Amino acid sequence: MAASIFSSNPTLASGPNYSFSQAANNAAAGVKEHSFYPYTDNGGSTLGISGSDFAILAGDTRSTSGYNINSRYAPKVFKIGGDDETGEGAHIVLSVVGFAADGQALKERLDTIVKMYKYQHGKNMSVKACAQRLSTILYQKRFFPYYVHAILGGIDDEGKGSLYSYDPVGSYERESCRAGGAAASLIMPFLDNQVKNNNQYIPGSGEGHELVARKAEPLPKEEVVKIVRDAFTSATERHIEVGDGLQMLVATKDGIEEVYFPLKRD
Amino acid sequence: MRGATILKASDDKTKELNRHTLMAFSGEAGDTIQFAEYIQANIQLYSMRNDTDLGPSAVANFVRGELAKSLRSKKPYTVNLLLGGLDPITEKPSLYWLDYLAALAPVPYAAHGYAQYAISEPLLVGRSADHKHHHPDIDFDQGLKILRMCTDELKRRLPIDFKGMLVKIIDKNGIREINYDDSKPVASA
Amino acid sequence: MDTLVAQYSRPAFEEEGYSQEDQHQLAQITPSLSLNFALPPLANPSAFLRATTDDHANPDCPIKLAHGTTTLAFRFQGGIIVATDSRATAGNWIASQTVKKVIEINNCLLGTMAGGAADCQYWLAYLGMQCRLHELRHKRRISVAAASKILSNLVYSYKGMGLSMGTMCAGVTPQEGPALYYIDSDGTRLAGNLFCVGSGQTFAYGVLDAEYHYDLKEDEALELGRRSILAATHRDAYSGGFINLYHVKEDGWVKHGFNDTNPIFWKTKLEKGEFSNVTSSLV
Repeated sequence: MAASIFSSNPTLASGPNYSFSQAANNAAAGVKEHSFYPYTDNGGSTLGISGSDFAILAGDTRSTSGYNINSRYAPKVFKIGGDDETGEGAHIVLSVVGFAADGQALKERLDTIVKMYKYQHGKNMSVKACAQRLSTILYQKRFFPYYVHAILGGIDDEGKGSLYSYDPVGSYERESCRAGGAAASLIMPFLDNQVKNNNQYIPGSGEGHELVARKAEPLPKEEVVKIVRDAFTSATERHIEVGDGLQMLVATKDGIEEVYFPLKRD
Repeated sequence: MRGATILKASDDKTKELNRHTLMAFSGEAGDTIQFAEYIQANIQLYSMRNDTDLGPSAVANFVRGELAKSLRSKKPYTVNLLLGGLDPITEKPSLYWLDYLAALAPVPYAAHGYAQYAISEPLLVGRSADHKHHHPDIDFDQGLKILRMCTDELKRRLPIDFKGMLVKIIDKNGIREINYDDSKPVASA
Repeated sequence: MDTLVAQYSRPAFEEEGYSQEDQHQLAQITPSLSLNFALPPLANPSAFLRATTDDHANPDCPIKLAHGTTTLAFRFQGGIIVATDSRATAGNWIASQTVKKVIEINNCLLGTMAGGAADCQYWLAYLGMQCRLHELRHKRRISVAAASKILSNLVYSYKGMGLSMGTMCAGVTPQEGPALYYIDSDGTRLAGNLFCVGSGQTFAYGVLDAEYHYDLKEDEALELGRRSILAATHRDAYSGGFINLYHVKEDGWVKHGFNDTNPIFWKTKLEKGEFSNVTSSLV
């Protein structure tokens, strides 16, 4: 039984206590109570924006455990359905934030499925199909969830950029922008305002309630890259779990381009 | 009822098992309907296979057996039942009280749900009322009169409005619903 | 002794990586239709799930699932009106303002979403599949009664495992006419004229009960649905976003927009003089 292996391991109980810090509970009577708690939060943040002919997924590269920084380069954005480790030939991008091990497992599972689809059907899986499949993969673990917030991006059948965001058990929705992870609450309002033009009005278009709201229009790629960089430099300033590096995967009709920018390392 | 709102005001919480047996149920949402439909289907199946109806005591003991089985399973049904029936041969009426722990008792009158506390006031615990109002030989009108006393007591003492009453009668002619006017307000003493 | 050893020992790393079954599943052309869900290796999986995901029972649970809603549906002479808000919350965080809480099961059946977003999305999609299979097998459309019973039996089989859904199935069929059912994860299934479900249900009932009658005209019914959701988004913090409005008729459903509440609120206030609790002066 996995439960007894985890809970009775003395080296883990007295050791760094990564996944198990919340599990050990020393009651006053000296009774030690353990429970099965196979999750930890590795921090970090992700963000995705879709445009008229591209989709960008970005994530910082810091990996934390509590207040410890364990790695300055641990990718959270992945190419799905590519040839080998390099991800050559991939056409779908996935970002996962939350518990890194679950994220890794989820990425590998989806990657395998997309590859098998290609081998069996002789064509690439559409982003729409992949999005639905990811939802069922997450829901298969409804009673033992993947502790992750996933975002999926790619180019849809009409050549438009598409972006799907997920909750840990697979409810999903197509959106134009989405932030996930530790700094989601810092980045998402910024995105609502700058990408969807929420709460922006055309100056001089009227008085009071007559004011006309600004419509959202798809942004050019260069503009979106600027917004993503601003979002992450600002999140780095205000969130301890965000920093070190910004990794961006840009999906266009020509494939996936990877971009890296350094972030503050303190 | 879910949370603080009523979802449906006129829900039939009874099932006709065969021509002369009626089962009323209360308890955990979901469990009640699932168990009642299971019992109903099995009793109907018996009638079809054997071309004869199971008598009330046989039905009651079958239901008790199923409840007892469920109680010892991984996920027991939390259902309380009342089973009223008329023996098709002797034409003797009988009433059975069953709870979710699979206790079975033949009784002259009974109640389940929120009501049992209130109804037991005039009928069960209050010994004087018990003897005064119910005895085995009462006629139909006398029975209805006692029912009226019970529902009046519910209105008087319970903080919850039950949104009307559904009354069904079992006699030698079978099962029928009667029009039971429950709209009159009851003044408390 | 050897048999005992053989029985209780196993090579190291035997369960490493994907199991035979996992590999088989990954290699399958289409995902299997059988419903096998991963469970934590514990005697009591539902308690584990409650501790990690149920923020109602355990406010500092690590995995927050999307919740909170107002949905309503009512029957009237012209069919069924279905209306919802579009907000999803995880604790105090508004996870989304653009959730589609009306789920199009097929072109004449609608389902609504309250409770766990994933539960509703997944099982209503599953219901859509079962409805299509029924059509293929029986050469006629499934009744709303039968469809709702498939769903209620299904969620009942998972009772106690922590599914959370309060859904309404609305459809018009030649046999039944307009039919409306309420199904929740307790296993309750009720037919009725009018239901409101979710954290804002009481506010929606308030408006709906006051003005509802079966002989409503189509435009009146649509307006009543919209106004009831508006009232709920106004008073319930967990409801908001956009008003999603549908009308189900004999020959299928018609969508009547996915509109921002804010302009509708101000229109209602300024043109009809309602919501007198809010001042409109800008000074």
